Amino acid sequence: MKLQHFIGGLEGLEPSSFEKRVFVQPWEERIFGIHVAMMALSNHLEVNQTVPTNFKSFWTWGHLRTGAENMNPFDYFKYRYYEKWLGGISGFFVDSGYVSKDELDAKTAAYLEKLDAPLPEGGEPAIDEQVIEYLRVGDSPKCDVPVQPKFKVGDVVTVRNPPPADHCKLPGYLRTKQGVVEEVYEGAYNYYFPTGDGVGDPMPIYNVKFDSHSIWSNFTEPSTAIYVQIFEGYLEDPA
Amino acid sequence: MSEAVDRETYSAARVRALESLLIEKGLITGETVDKVLEFFEKDMGPFNGAKIVAKAWVDPEFKQRLLDDTPSAIAEMSFPRGMAGAEGEHMKAVANEPGVHNLIVCTMCSCYPWPVLGLPPYWFKDPTFRARAIREPRKVLQEFGLDIPESTEVRVWDTSAQIRWFVVPERPEGTEGWSEDQLAAVISPEAMQGAAKVVIPT
Repeated sequence: MKLQHFIGGLEGLEPSSFEKRVFVQPWEERIFGIHVAMMALSNHLEVNQTVPTNFKSFWTWGHLRTGAENMNPFDYFKYRYYEKWLGGISGFFVDSGYVSKDELDAKTAAYLEKLDAPLPEGGEPAIDEQVIEYLRVGDSPKCDVPVQPKFKVGDVVTVRNPPPADHCKLPGYLRTKQGVVEEVYEGAYNYYFPTGDGVGDPMPIYNVKFDSHSIWSNFTEPSTAIYVQIFEGYLEDPA
Repeated sequence: MSEAVDRETYSAARVRALESLLIEKGLITGETVDKVLEFFEKDMGPFNGAKIVAKAWVDPEFKQRLLDDTPSAIAEMSFPRGMAGAEGEHMKAVANEPGVHNLIVCTMCSCYPWPVLGLPPYWFKDPTFRARAIREPRKVLQEFGLDIPESTEVRVWDTSAQIRWFVVPERPEGTEGWSEDQLAAVISPEAMQGAAKVVIPT
């Protein structure tokens, strides 16, 4: 199992912080913006065949998450949200050969000497136009393919318990639990790439309702319902 | 990294080095990151969600359409193009009502409806919140200052697939006759995720 998939329901934790800021350090904004640009310029979007960027890779939320899910789980909890992004994204650029570790280290050392030294200027405006266009258009996973949902509203379903894969879209606490289908979403939804545990190809998504007591017995609160949107690949008929 | 270099200073230099190299190598431009951030200040943010909720409060028929078919209802309003854009491709609204309180959580990470709420605040991304909110939502909400009695059903929405949720909170008493603009001004991102009530400033 991967601990990162099993966060929901963990016991023994302190009260969580009600920190309402999106970024708690100014540098965090920059790595967020870089990740958005990478998603916007990803080679799986057809429009990017003509955008004059030297970024030529496939990059999505799925890639960012795969990195986070493959971290040492104890390290995962040592780093703040955008620290994990910075580590994962800079690692990607080095591993993919866009920058060498030496030049990144040298440039880091230079900025450590003078943090407010300016960034380079210029570049192709068409790159920025595509980045903003991506934010306006998105990257819908809904597919125009006919599918016949296996389950209907009111059906009792069991959540499958597939072995861990590189990436997973199934919250760990739901594995082997039973719920009731509340809604069958229209159409089919793919995922950016096959996760290795049953998701990727276009398939229906369901809204499934769980009684929190059926998951956590008495270690929960009265009158609490949990609704989760689950890919069909993670569901099966109760045995 | 030298022990003498503070963790935040190192990260700040590291990300600046990375951005600088990506610009030099023609992957992004010198303005890309600034333009992304500006877009979230002006176009995509909780100010959009607040307008939607305010309209739902003054127009019950709109509210029903919003709950039945969220994208179509939002498309009726005069927002800039992009309300079905990144992280808002498939949004759904749920309403609080007497006897029902909704709370949104993403136990796996941080899925959030960007066009209507902007970017997720730190409390939403906190692993402790993600761990606890799904199992003991009332206790977490009480720590956040919101008391939900056991007689009220709590519905926790874990956004792990492709649907992004937001909450239409209850309209506070004492706002009768307010304009949509006045109402929108008091609606917080936290209220639109079910983590707070809408309160009128005194």
